[in-house]
Amino acid sequence: MSILVANGLTHWFGPEVALEAVDLTIDSGEHMAVLGENGAGKTTLLRILATAARPTSGRLEIMGLDALRERRRLRQRIGYLAHAPGLYPALSATENLEFFCTLQGVSRTRVAETLGLVGLDAVARRPAGLLSRGMQQRLAIGRAILHDPKLLVLDEPDASLGSDGAELLAAVMKERTVVLATHDHALANRLCQRTLTLRHGRSVGTATRLHIVK
Amino acid sequence: MTNSFAVAIAVARKDLRAEWRTRELVPALAQFVILALVIANFGFQIDARNAPSIAPGVLWLALVFAGLVAFGRAFAAEREQASLEALLMTPASPVAIFAGKALAATLLLVGCEAVLLPALALFFGTPLTVQVVAAVLLATIGMAALGCLFAAMVARVRARELLLPLLTLPLWIPFIVAGGQAVQVAMGSGSGSYDQAMALLVDFDILFLVLTSLAARFVLDE
Repeated sequence: MSILVANGLTHWFGPEVALEAVDLTIDSGEHMAVLGENGAGKTTLLRILATAARPTSGRLEIMGLDALRERRRLRQRIGYLAHAPGLYPALSATENLEFFCTLQGVSRTRVAETLGLVGLDAVARRPAGLLSRGMQQRLAIGRAILHDPKLLVLDEPDASLGSDGAELLAAVMKERTVVLATHDHALANRLCQRTLTLRHGRSVGTATRLHIVK
Repeated sequence: MTNSFAVAIAVARKDLRAEWRTRELVPALAQFVILALVIANFGFQIDARNAPSIAPGVLWLALVFAGLVAFGRAFAAEREQASLEALLMTPASPVAIFAGKALAATLLLVGCEAVLLPALALFFGTPLTVQVVAAVLLATIGMAALGCLFAAMVARVRARELLLPLLTLPLWIPFIVAGGQAVQVAMGSGSGSYDQAMALLVDFDILFLVLTSLAARFVLDE
């Protein structure tokens, strides 16, 4: 069953086309990687799929809802990791997540569990600004899954993660539908069943795991 | 679904906690208003006769420029930390988020006023009465709502430091006119009615609070 259906997604930044007529269907529980060079349109596509941006034209349906009209309802079910961690440096890791618990309308009991999952329980009281870049990325991933979303949209989640980054991502992606953008083909092959490759904003094809290996 | 009141309080508390730990804004604002008073004190020939007519003008000038900095920072910090998108990607109401940001910025400006008003009384020898404090606080509410709305509007554009005063100052004029009159009367130099000026401030507060809460939704949405 499809959880996400996109038809003709197009996005313009002034006179520049960032995304051109991208069609996409993702099934429930499927993990899809979006590949492409810098400027290929990966982040634009992910921002649209996460409802952070509106496409200039095209249709997007997520979990049976019109994603352009029902953005607030969908945001309860979508977790989004943006390119920048976007944390509050003066607040501790725990305080960052507690704050987002209130905004997401979920219980603060999720905080300890989430910090444990992303491996940050030892630095829970440390200000986010004093965490290493990799730890900040882990905290941002934790924030994206805080409300237990069904659909997870991850923009280069492997950035700055250590050697165990792939294991962490596999753990947070478990039992969720995931769209992730990455430059790392090996990671895409390890974590995703399918890839979508973008070039100059256009889809140049999808591949299953078997084809990625080849 | 999220509780809008809880969201607004959480956003305000988060901003105040961050300010308490970093002490970025309030000490700088307090220093600014003291310097403004020192400059005005040396720039004008202040004596017991002209102090009540000069002091209200100096008060509002210092307050307006301190307010521009305080409200400008409300959203600039979110932009610099790239956290605004994370904030808006939650199902929380944009109006509640805006209200929380405005509440925190207002409290920070009130903190600055707590330095400004006694310092004004000290430098100019003007009375620090409940009437003066009430007029300043009433004007701060409406000014904060407008200041934060425009700060949110310009947060994602270039030349925001230039745009914020250009957009905000013209709409602050009603508060400065009514607030100025109230403070002048309270300091014994004005000729109008204090009650009328305060009633006007309440009207402006209600009008701009309603307008900004209606507009906040569209400003914060992409």
